[in-house]
Amino acid sequence: MANAVVELRGCTRDYGGVRAVDALDLAILEGEFLSLLGPSGCGKTTTLNLVAGFVEPTAGRVFIDGEDVTGLPAHRRGLGVVFQSYALFPHLSVFENVAFGLRERRAPAAEIARRVGEALELVRLDREGRQRPSQLSGGMQQRVALARALVYRPRVLLLDEPLAALDKKLREEMRDELRAIQCSVGITTVFVTHDQAEALGLSDRIAVMSRGRIERLGAPREIYERPSSRFVADFIGASTVLRGRAVATDRVALASGLEVQVAAGAALRIGAELELAIRPERVQLAAGPGMGAIEARVEGLVYQGALTEVSARLGDGQRLRVFVTEPSPVPLAQGQTVHLVLPADAFMVLT
Amino acid sequence: MKLLLAPALTVIALFAVALGCLLQYSVLTFIPGSLKTGGLTLENFRNVLAPQYLGVIWDTVWLSAATTVLTLLAAYPVAYALARTASARVRSAILVLTLAPFFTGAIVRTYAWILVLGNAVITWPIPMLFTERGVLVGLVHFSMPTMILMLAAGISHIDPVYERAAASLGARPARVFWRVTLPLSLPGIVSGSLIVFAWTLSAYPTPALLGGGKVQMIATVVKDRGLDSFNWPGAAAFALLALAMTIVLLAGVGRAGARAA
Amino acid sequence: MLKAAVVVLLAFMTLPTVVVIAVSFNPTAILSFPPAGFSLRWYENALTYPQFQRAAVNSLWVTLGSVALALPIGTAAALALERGRLRLPTLWATLLLSPLVVPGVAAGLGFLILAASLGMIRSRAVLIVAHVALVLPFVVRSVWVSVRNLDVTLERAAASLGATPWRAFRRVTLPLLRPGFFAAILFAVVVSVNEFVVSLFISNRVTEILPVAMYSYVVNYTDPTIAAMSTLFITATFVVVWLADRFVGLGRVFLQHR
Repeated sequence: MANAVVELRGCTRDYGGVRAVDALDLAILEGEFLSLLGPSGCGKTTTLNLVAGFVEPTAGRVFIDGEDVTGLPAHRRGLGVVFQSYALFPHLSVFENVAFGLRERRAPAAEIARRVGEALELVRLDREGRQRPSQLSGGMQQRVALARALVYRPRVLLLDEPLAALDKKLREEMRDELRAIQCSVGITTVFVTHDQAEALGLSDRIAVMSRGRIERLGAPREIYERPSSRFVADFIGASTVLRGRAVATDRVALASGLEVQVAAGAALRIGAELELAIRPERVQLAAGPGMGAIEARVEGLVYQGALTEVSARLGDGQRLRVFVTEPSPVPLAQGQTVHLVLPADAFMVLT
Repeated sequence: MKLLLAPALTVIALFAVALGCLLQYSVLTFIPGSLKTGGLTLENFRNVLAPQYLGVIWDTVWLSAATTVLTLLAAYPVAYALARTASARVRSAILVLTLAPFFTGAIVRTYAWILVLGNAVITWPIPMLFTERGVLVGLVHFSMPTMILMLAAGISHIDPVYERAAASLGARPARVFWRVTLPLSLPGIVSGSLIVFAWTLSAYPTPALLGGGKVQMIATVVKDRGLDSFNWPGAAAFALLALAMTIVLLAGVGRAGARAA
Repeated sequence: MLKAAVVVLLAFMTLPTVVVIAVSFNPTAILSFPPAGFSLRWYENALTYPQFQRAAVNSLWVTLGSVALALPIGTAAALALERGRLRLPTLWATLLLSPLVVPGVAAGLGFLILAASLGMIRSRAVLIVAHVALVLPFVVRSVWVSVRNLDVTLERAAASLGATPWRAFRRVTLPLLRPGFFAAILFAVVVSVNEFVVSLFISNRVTEILPVAMYSYVVNYTDPTIAAMSTLFITATFVVVWLADRFVGLGRVFLQHR
């Protein structure tokens, strides 16, 4: 069982009348890559700022390596931070930027030269040492920011939406590079993002946040396949939510009387009103009626190259989203009747 | 559209003509006791460089430099507070207190210092009024609003994220200031200092009233010769000297501003 | 720590003002602080001193005249600079702002010599022209900022609704320039009312404005009449500055904030 490097206990942070973080409990484990994921305003950046020491909690305590650091100012916490805007000092060269933390720690010149060199090599910028940040591209600036935060081997690496300012292709490249570096260095990392694909791809664990609280904490696959709440189901991946009532421990009657088999792990309470979520990619297109297929009418088609997003309406009026991998097994057209199979184990019961 | 510019340019042209008169008279001979002038001569400029006047020029430069440095030191904390305070009310208060002296005029402010430096409030251990020290205090006080505003404008342009980044890298607040905030506020420091220096070179009421005739600066010489001795040519030469020094310095401000961009 | 330093420095900046106000109420002619009592005799003195009265009237006319002239001239210039598609806009702008650069003694002496050669020595006209020149940079700068922030599409909208260029200017542009005018007038009045050095050179006892009259008084007499005069000045200024901050927001004029 890995130990907790960072712990937030009951942390609350208010800004005037607004509660940004609400009685948050979080333990960040040694060596893990944890993402704080959520929409704007959910409190993820504030949580990062609490760990970094840029803001103090209105209530609650912050621990690093078991020590209470709640009152400790940022410059004494020994962490590494990569800011969204990178915050590279414009008046210093790349070398001096990376050397900054080492100079603050009074490292001797020879050691500084060596370690900055290594750090720049790690991010493949060893030849840009003399340049100014303004002369570098966005991607390169981001790597300098990373080198600067890592060079003095901080306890924890904090990243505040570091990929947000990059274009799509660069973002994907940097994402892979980031993961590679984190793995090779083995440093405990906290990553703030609103991009669920990034979180899913990079993290050991994800904390999905909303309105100052953690809605769900767990490994990516677990969160994706068993979202547990409507918010998480909506935020991570796409899903359709269907309403119905349990008529047996494993059957739910949807509004129109249509009944579906549900194998969600736990037995259902008979008579309970519930919400079922199903991912569009799990809905299958059947060749024809029968085999438990449900009839639906195609209302919308959005061709996306690798797949087509289909919006279909069920007999009871509820709408269902389906991702059909191209080429489609069945020809699709507006207004057409299709037969959909909803596998029992594809359903996620939402609380 | 050019027509719209014409009236303004006319005014400026008149202003230029006035300066032209200065130029004209500076090369004419002074006839003591009258306003009439003799022929062309460089005597007036040679006079400017005469030993006793060279002393005045040196004193002016030295006093202006001292004023600039002291004003910079005194103004920076206020400017920092003005630029960085979160509270709008505090900001308003600082702004009003900073700007109000600006608006009360030279005579009022200088008179106030006559009172304070003249033992009306406390008895000074060493004489302050009618000394260089007193004039220095008056000049610093006079220059502070300008310096505060220019510094504050510069500081407010520095993104606070840099200070956070430095803190996250382990720098104590004093180190953050020294290594990040101060260097990044350099453009504001340079332009503020150049402007204060240039304006102080030509300051008149402060040295005139607080110096009581014992402290001479270039501007007081111009006034004495121009208005009291009617030596317009001689005064003009000095006035042109002040003008030239100012233009050179303020051109420097433009350069510094362009380089910082 | 910073707060303490700032408070001390602001106190330094405000101290002289406090002393002047306190001394103005002193019953005796000896300048002492704290004042030995309370009296309004110096205010009476200041307000009834004929030279001050004459100078105040002069100040009024000179300031009114110069601001009234500078405002339209400066506005026209600002519009030309922003909209005129001039070939060298920075050159014209620098020219218009140039009086700021010239030392007061130089301008003062220059205008004096000019007036003398025109035989107009110490005429009010020269005084007003000089003030217009000194005030113009402030007017141009203030109005220019406003002109820059004008949305051209509003004037186009007016045109599409049938307004002639002149009507559009009067009904749309001018009202939108009001903040700029307000700032321009504020600066112009303050600069003109307090103008001392240039006015010292080109006025005599008949035409001199208030600061010059006060200067003459200080040089010759030492009683607190000037303190009373100064207090009146200071009060008027504080009121004006406070009003300006409340209605226009001085912070926006001087600093670039979020």
